[in-house]
Amino acid sequence: MIGTLLAGKGIFFLTLLLLGIGMAGIIVCENYMKKLICMNIMQVAVIFFFLCLGQKNGGTIPVALDSVINAADYINPLPHGLMLTAIVVSLGTTGVGLALLYRIKDRYGSIEERDIIRRGKDKQ
Amino acid sequence: MRKAIGIILICAALILPFVFFDVLPAIGDPASAPNSHVSDYYIEHTESIANSPNMVTAVIVDFRAFDTLLETTVMFLAGVCVMIILAGVFKTDKRIIEPRSKKMKKHKKGEPVFRGINKDVTITVLQPIILVYAIYVLFHGEVSLGGGFQAGALIGTVLLLDAMAIPDKRNFPDITKGTSAMVAGIGTFIYALAGILTLVGGGFFLEYEKFPWSVAAAEQHSIGILMVEIGVTLGVAGTIVTIMNAILEKVKFDK
Repeated sequence: MIGTLLAGKGIFFLTLLLLGIGMAGIIVCENYMKKLICMNIMQVAVIFFFLCLGQKNGGTIPVALDSVINAADYINPLPHGLMLTAIVVSLGTTGVGLALLYRIKDRYGSIEERDIIRRGKDKQ
Repeated sequence: MRKAIGIILICAALILPFVFFDVLPAIGDPASAPNSHVSDYYIEHTESIANSPNMVTAVIVDFRAFDTLLETTVMFLAGVCVMIILAGVFKTDKRIIEPRSKKMKKHKKGEPVFRGINKDVTITVLQPIILVYAIYVLFHGEVSLGGGFQAGALIGTVLLLDAMAIPDKRNFPDITKGTSAMVAGIGTFIYALAGILTLVGGGFFLEYEKFPWSVAAAEQHSIGILMVEIGVTLGVAGTIVTIMNAILEKVKFDK
């Protein structure tokens, strides 16, 4: 009973645990660099979730072979295609985030949230 | 307080599968909703319509070419955005990064030390191999596993390795961030050009059968896919190098 349950839907718990860790990290961490890392963890969780949906029992990789004709024998190529572009775009968003961190460090001298709030109050 | 919110969020995320337990499809079920509707059409028609045995490539650059066009544009815009954010004069002298070898303490005699890898030689040997693999992945991506995004990431990796492993010694000519952003823009333009050429031939945007030269429809799909993949490769590699250059420009390595 529990074996089939875990085999069928157990992976969703792990992906959602990853998503929860990422979201909790964004809220709890006070260092902006750590927040960026947690954002990446969240993206990975979403990518895993989509890749899980494309899986088929006994399916082969989505490259057409002459010997395999039935569509049920290939795993679903659609989530792979979507997540491939999502991975590359996440690289771009991470780059923009790092550039913004650079600017914050240059303006406030720190990327700790407490220091930034304190200095923002001092300047007023 | 904040920690409590974090723990509550993790618990909520763990409870969510129980709430939606009937809605979530079982993993590996060929008849589940994500595996049944449009993906069967993609699997059955990739070879007959797109002339590309690799279904992922066919889905990305043929059936869903619009998505990929805009995603390449997003990459290009991200590179330009990083360049603009980091443009301007600010104090670079304060931000000196010491190479790691200086910080590490001398090890005692007899202890195993993993500093024996010769970076000069290893990287020089590795780079051409990665480049050859990138070209293979690019031109073979339509037939077997691979594609434009992977090839672009590999080429970007080579240049990144070159710039970051040994800052003093460069195997490749120094590419400025302006040049690399231009390369990314050219890549995005090549992608759009494929669409414009099909418009010239009298078809819809990115309808590969209507290229203005007369070859068989299957070959026209191959030409279109290859053209788009070259564009994507240039776009991704250019963006990675742009982000790297824009950030490295503000860092001063201590000799």
